[in-house]
Amino acid sequence: MHLPDGIVPATVCAAGFATAGLATWYSLRRIGRQEDPQAQVPKASLFTAVFFVASLVHVPVPPVSVHLILNGLLGVVLGWYAFPAILVGLFFQAVMFGHGGLTTLGVNATMLGVPALLAALLFRSRGLPGLEARGGRKLTGLLAFLGGSLGVGLTALILAVLLFTTVPASLDATAERAAIAALVLAHVPLALVEGVFTALVVLFLLRVDPGLLENHRGPPGREPGEPRELAKTG
Amino acid sequence: MRLDQHAGIDSPVHRWDPRLKLVALMALALSFAFVQDPRLLPAMLGVSFTLCAVSRLPAGFVARRLRYPGFFILMLAAVLPFFSGETVLLQLGPLGLREEGSLEMVMIAGRFISIITVAVVLFGTAPVFTNIKALRALGLPPLLGDMALFSYRYIEEIGTDLRRMQRAARLRGFRAARPGYRNLKTLASLVGSLLVRSYEKSHRVYHAMLLRGYGGPERVRHPFRAGFADAAALVGVLGVAAAFVVAEAI
Repeated sequence: MHLPDGIVPATVCAAGFATAGLATWYSLRRIGRQEDPQAQVPKASLFTAVFFVASLVHVPVPPVSVHLILNGLLGVVLGWYAFPAILVGLFFQAVMFGHGGLTTLGVNATMLGVPALLAALLFRSRGLPGLEARGGRKLTGLLAFLGGSLGVGLTALILAVLLFTTVPASLDATAERAAIAALVLAHVPLALVEGVFTALVVLFLLRVDPGLLENHRGPPGREPGEPRELAKTG
Repeated sequence: MRLDQHAGIDSPVHRWDPRLKLVALMALALSFAFVQDPRLLPAMLGVSFTLCAVSRLPAGFVARRLRYPGFFILMLAAVLPFFSGETVLLQLGPLGLREEGSLEMVMIAGRFISIITVAVVLFGTAPVFTNIKALRALGLPPLLGDMALFSYRYIEEIGTDLRRMQRAARLRGFRAARPGYRNLKTLASLVGSLLVRSYEKSHRVYHAMLLRGYGGPERVRHPFRAGFADAAALVGVLGVAAAFVVAEAI
């Protein structure tokens, strides 16, 4: 779900770079406020690589097989690092595979990154005082599901609006609205699958290594830098 | 199929200072995005193909780069000419081939081919690390530069990890093509394990880097030197980019 080069007009490309620049600047500012911003760089980078690779996995959603987008999951596990991670990931996808584009890098980063940040904020609400005590696994799973499907749903909506309001100049308004609705509806099953998938991954992480989920909101888990079991490395 | 496999060729584009090359060719690619007028199409394709010829990149390499994203364009090709516009050129049963839609299609394809060609020349004529260093020298925030270097370093390795895990899952009877909750759960565990593994790896990498002095105040050091020819090429390409924008505006 990336816009390639040459489709949207230059003004949209420029607006995309502007919003992506703003979001990057704000994310970097928030990251800069953390205790040791550089300590998270290897984690964020390796996760960027994981998402890059995992988005190549096919999942069958009858009648077709789809790629997962995983921007919601990225937001959930990376917090403020999600936007820079998406920017870097998209840059490599564009220059290595021609997936997406160079002039549309800003548009694509905004389209995937802003929903990812919203998913991150949503998932963070599980740490709110009242919720933490009652919630537990169910709440975590639910928030992850919402984050995952929100990520894809919102991305599809932005894509559809961009595509049909800017591209075919001579398409009439009713056809435009119908096309947007059709494209968004086509993504509903995908959003559900993505939500379930995100919830499953998060519950897996909660079982195997909860510290990984805690990391972006302070260090109540294990200290960053302390491997879970030294014997299991390698 | 590595991106920078032909970075070792000797050509004027390869010798160009990577910083100036980044600025010039990005501006050129963006100016192509401005082009709406069909009369500018031959000039746009001409400029990008000339650039490609000067860079001496093998034609097959550039063509392969165009193939994959071409699918998206093909999808639009199937829709736009039939639904956009009023002037019907050719009636094919219930569908009419429309002039405006067809023209839009040709323009999209033309811009697409030109921009991708410029992008391939930009990133195919220098090693990826050189380009990231050049971006840093141009003012890319250090955190983004570090993340780019790191991710690039680990994409290959994590890809191998994933393939190994998928092979192991298949050997245990996992069939990826069967839809269902159970399968989704297995895939989720696969991605989860990949995250946990790379999380642990990232700690080890971080410690190794701390030992080698990472984390101090960063200085950008680079070997780039721009001479007269580099600057002249920058001015020339920026001029061409500006010409496209101006020609479009008139």
